[in-house]
Amino acid sequence: MAKVLIPTPLRQYTGKQDHVQVTGTTVGEVLNTLATQYPDLRKQIFNDEGRLRSFVNVYLNDEDIRYLKKTETPAADGDTLSLVPSIAGGAGVAAPPAGSTLTKDEILRYSRHLIIPEVGMEGQQKLKAAKVLLVGAGGLGAPLGLYLTAAGIGRIGLVDFDVVDFTNLQRQVIHSTADVGRKKLDSAAEKMKAINPALEVVKYEVALSSENALDILKDYDLVVDGTDNFPTRYLVNDACVLLGKPNVYGSIFRFEGQATVFAYEGGPCYRCLYPEPPPPGLVPSCAEGGVLGILPGTIGLIQATEAVKLILGIGEPLVGRLLLYDALSMKFRELKLRKNPECPICGEHRTITKLIDYHQFCGVPQPGPGGAPATAQEAKLNEGEIDVIELKQKLDRGDNFVLIDVREPHEYQIANIPGSRLIPLGQFPQHVGELDPEADIVIHCKSGMRSARACGVLRQAGFKHVRNVVGGILAWSDKVDPSVPKY
Amino acid sequence: MIRIEAEPWAAMVAHARRTYPNECCGAMLGATDGEQKLVRVALPLENAFAGAQAARYELRPEDLRAADRAARERQMDLIGIYHSHPDCDAYFSPTDLRNSCPWYSFVVLSIQKGEFHHANSWLPNLDQTEAAREELVY
Repeated sequence: MAKVLIPTPLRQYTGKQDHVQVTGTTVGEVLNTLATQYPDLRKQIFNDEGRLRSFVNVYLNDEDIRYLKKTETPAADGDTLSLVPSIAGGAGVAAPPAGSTLTKDEILRYSRHLIIPEVGMEGQQKLKAAKVLLVGAGGLGAPLGLYLTAAGIGRIGLVDFDVVDFTNLQRQVIHSTADVGRKKLDSAAEKMKAINPALEVVKYEVALSSENALDILKDYDLVVDGTDNFPTRYLVNDACVLLGKPNVYGSIFRFEGQATVFAYEGGPCYRCLYPEPPPPGLVPSCAEGGVLGILPGTIGLIQATEAVKLILGIGEPLVGRLLLYDALSMKFRELKLRKNPECPICGEHRTITKLIDYHQFCGVPQPGPGGAPATAQEAKLNEGEIDVIELKQKLDRGDNFVLIDVREPHEYQIANIPGSRLIPLGQFPQHVGELDPEADIVIHCKSGMRSARACGVLRQAGFKHVRNVVGGILAWSDKVDPSVPKY
Repeated sequence: MIRIEAEPWAAMVAHARRTYPNECCGAMLGATDGEQKLVRVALPLENAFAGAQAARYELRPEDLRAADRAARERQMDLIGIYHSHPDCDAYFSPTDLRNSCPWYSFVVLSIQKGEFHHANSWLPNLDQTEAAREELVY
């Protein structure tokens, strides 16, 4: 027999009693018996599926049953149960701006929005008042920047410190051939202003870091992550969680993409999905692994759609759902994401309360000033490196050594260094036995990442003379043979 | 209809202005008679939202329990929750709706440029999909 305290508004269903004695051996049983005794009370605390409504917290004496055994928590004689709603809210990002109106020109420009009831004048004003930060003006940033600008977002912040390169043009449609060599920020801002001169573009020519992230993010309503590396993804996530700003996430690789909204109103964050970063080098970047040029268009526009929905406060946001897209099979799938109660930054017992060193967290050493090795570990690795000029001299001298290329066969077809033996990294361990542990071995790939891993495999196997070609075949093209195409 | 007496009303406005540009939140205690509610005491509570509080608030369940206890001790009822919307209308936002509870009245105070502007009271439905406006007198 447990005592259940009845909140004021529910006493109309219990004959005005402010507490009721109910039998049951667990909290679940007590609540069920209560709902059976007072049928009108049932729908106040249980939903149609018979589960406790999302806003109902149950306390057994002074403890929240979520931290005990939930509804299986034993209830003994003399225990007191309280029903305590969880309440939160706020103007949120969906706030209609106080006193922002549309000009006559804007009413014309956005007429196709204004005639949708879900957008209307009020929605368009929200878009105009909205401040969105795009982290990265590359593959994902390109469609995001173009469409969010066209949709009428009032202020868009761009974070990027890169320069437009020929290899970008296959997908980064905000940049054109004439922009090669220009700052991506300038090129992107110019296109966006051309679409919508009323747009306020704020350019941040920096690498987002633990030092500047909170300061940059704090002025925006929501953040769209268009980055391609793990340290920045964790950084964007943590900063968004700490500031309480939604993080519209997207990622792409070859033919596949993912998108979701993190850190939104009690939803999961990136760390709930990936508590730990992958080992460095395991997940190839677009530069290493390639990407279908159209893919960032698809994923970027899913991000843009979610950003606009969040601002308007309409529809079902992509929260707690990871959308997976496969361009080859042309299929979308959805994975349920749950908030991890043990998440170190958004869980109940958070251990991360400020931004950390994300390069260290992800095991990616950052080059120190002047290209000097940042860590002792990296300096040690450098001992096993060889420059492309030295490699050329070795080849010209006819030295007795083995040159191994660990790229994929289709990359080898694009360009290769004559005399090299192709063993793709994935098959490398099976071929170790064919190599002479005493031989002088030099390994290269496209830029030096994969070959560094192959060198590690050989050194672990006891090989003495193994060296990694710094900068890979890209450096070879730059410094030795410009006729070798870069890709 | 919800009527707020002068003293608690002044306390709520002062709380909202003091907290500006962040959101404030608190509990309203008083007496209910069917649909008629009379707020006699406003109990400011801490905004426990961990992130930026300019557009968000969160009540700790412990604080709400304490408010409920305070009401019982004074022979009063916990009638509703109030919070402020800095530089924004006193509408019931999707965020408010999703994190609300149909048992209580939700009074929203619009504070614009630091000064009280207007207020509304809302009654969310059971499924938290809609909120009806409740007549508010202060």
